[in-house]
Amino acid sequence: MPKDNLNQDNIEISRRKMMGLVVGVINLGLIGAIVGPMVGFAAAPLGNKRKSRWVELMDESRIKPGEVKEVNYSLLVVDGYHEVEQKFTVFLRRSEEDVICIDPACTHLGCRVDYHADQHKFICPCHGGVFDDEGTNKSGPPPKPLERHPVKIEAGKIWISREV
Amino acid sequence: MSQKTYKPKDAPTLSPEVKVDEPREAVSSEERLQIERPSLRDWMDLRLGWYGFVRKNLDEPMPAGVGWWQTLGNLLMTLLVFQFITGFALAMYYSPSPDSAHASVKHLTYEVGLGSFIRGLHSWGSTVIVIAVVLHMLRVFFWGSYKKPRELTWVVGVIIFQVILGFSFTGYLLPWDQKAYWATVVGTRIAATIPVVGHALLVFIRGGEEVGALTLTRFYSFHVMLLPASLILFTFLHLYLVRRHHIAGPVTPAKGAPVPFYPNQLFKDAIVLLFGVGLLIYLAVALPPGLEAIADPTGTDFSPRPEWYFLGLYELLKVMPSGWEVVATVIIPTGITIGMFALPWLDRSKSRHPAKRQWIIMSGFAAILLIGLMTLKGILETPPEHKKSEATLAGSSDIPKAEATQLESLGE
Ligand code: HEM
Ligand code: FES
Repeated sequence: MPKDNLNQDNIEISRRKMMGLVVGVINLGLIGAIVGPMVGFAAAPLGNKRKSRWVELMDESRIKPGEVKEVNYSLLVVDGYHEVEQKFTVFLRRSEEDVICIDPACTHLGCRVDYHADQHKFICPCHGGVFDDEGTNKSGPPPKPLERHPVKIEAGKIWISREV
Repeated sequence: MSQKTYKPKDAPTLSPEVKVDEPREAVSSEERLQIERPSLRDWMDLRLGWYGFVRKNLDEPMPAGVGWWQTLGNLLMTLLVFQFITGFALAMYYSPSPDSAHASVKHLTYEVGLGSFIRGLHSWGSTVIVIAVVLHMLRVFFWGSYKKPRELTWVVGVIIFQVILGFSFTGYLLPWDQKAYWATVVGTRIAATIPVVGHALLVFIRGGEEVGALTLTRFYSFHVMLLPASLILFTFLHLYLVRRHHIAGPVTPAKGAPVPFYPNQLFKDAIVLLFGVGLLIYLAVALPPGLEAIADPTGTDFSPRPEWYFLGLYELLKVMPSGWEVVATVIIPTGITIGMFALPWLDRSKSRHPAKRQWIIMSGFAAILLIGLMTLKGILETPPEHKKSEATLAGSSDIPKAEATQLESLGE
């Protein structure tokens, strides 16, 4: 008899343990069922790839060698749930040989740099980053040169390519 | 009840001589159950147990020496309730889309009756909360109140502090004006300075490569759903822990017996509320919130600056040499945060007295001094005059506009 009782208890305990375990597993499943899709949903933009597009900016004749020019243009881009005409700025710099296109986003934390023609420098208003007129970082926090966009000149027109 | 199984060693108790209002219930709940026609009050109390709960909290013993410094928690609670209510009201008029966010804020500020006041309460509220939370943390720090058994009260407090910073970071973007846009461009870029995963994190936070429509909806959803829900949860946990462990007395016990929370401490709390909330209302009326021009990714006549309590970080970024920005953006802030979480375990001294834990007090002072001076520097430094050089402008005034229709897509 006592032996039987003991067994009863053991069965009872393992039954309790088993049920507890099942409850735990179900709960983990529930958490996974909501957290998993949730993370995937929130992180969906990570899967979007950008494509580069060529944009016609202006007549080649409008920029002279040695000049740096700020050019604004707008593009129809997809911004989340809607298409918007977004404005962009780039700086074109023409030397004797070629034209380069410099992006104004500071390579430190992304403020928009300004060109100071008198000093031939790009200066960032945020933390004082300074770049020369080719976009090479000279002083302040920026870790690398300003980004450049590919340029082509076709039939007297300047085109640049950018990712959107 | 928990009181039976747990009682901190230094728990203050009211001595029998202390006068408290007599419990209203002369009869036990058992007896009241039998009353044929209970009053509404008895009927409710029997079901809610509310009076017992209120009574217990009003009678909460306050050790001698507890006073004005302990009113800040209550002020914070009240300010949080104000934030919830004004936030709820603002959400009635706000629209989280780049097309309409700026216009909706403009409308609610300048056209809706009391709009400027409600928005003022909400935006000044965030500032007053940050000040009050910092004072509250400093008082807990110098009193050493985070020591055993109140470690988790402190840890939950640090979480609350992070949540509050999250609120101000996400809320700052919502008006979608120049200030909002550029502070967010720079603020989110901080994530990109983290090695390896930085870029992915940036895209995750922004909801895309650039700050745009999806950044706004993302920030909005954090600001009005996730952060409030977490704040409520952690605030209740905090208050539960505060009551469970009771308020710690002064570092060197003051003479005198503990007194009940009501009326002495509650009175002090009310006075502080009067001044705290009074200040808030004054600020909202005297310095109504502004709105700058709508966010413009091409605008140059603007020098981005974050909310004043992030200015310390902003200044730190200026002094970091090139290539070291990750120190200012990630290592120092993360280090300070980890230090805050770990404080109860870093500070091993048994005694709460500042003289007995000098190096902790010293590091605390150093951190406060660093953050304080950097913030002050940021506040004092007028934004550098950010003029466009006329020469460049003249050349580019005839802006060519590449028509979207002219584009040819070449792919990668
Ligand atoms: C909005 C946020 C907060 C609210 C509503 C709040 C509320 C309170 C209240 C009502 C008290 C008791 C009265 C007092 O000492 O003032 C308290 C105590 C305490 N708080 Fe907070 N608090 C907040 C944030 C924080 C933060 C950010 C920390 C630390 C990082 C913190 C750490 C503590 C600790 C350790 C105590 C116990 C003090 C003692 O026992 O003497 N709290 N809090
Ligand atoms: S963003 Fe340009 S220097 Fe920091």
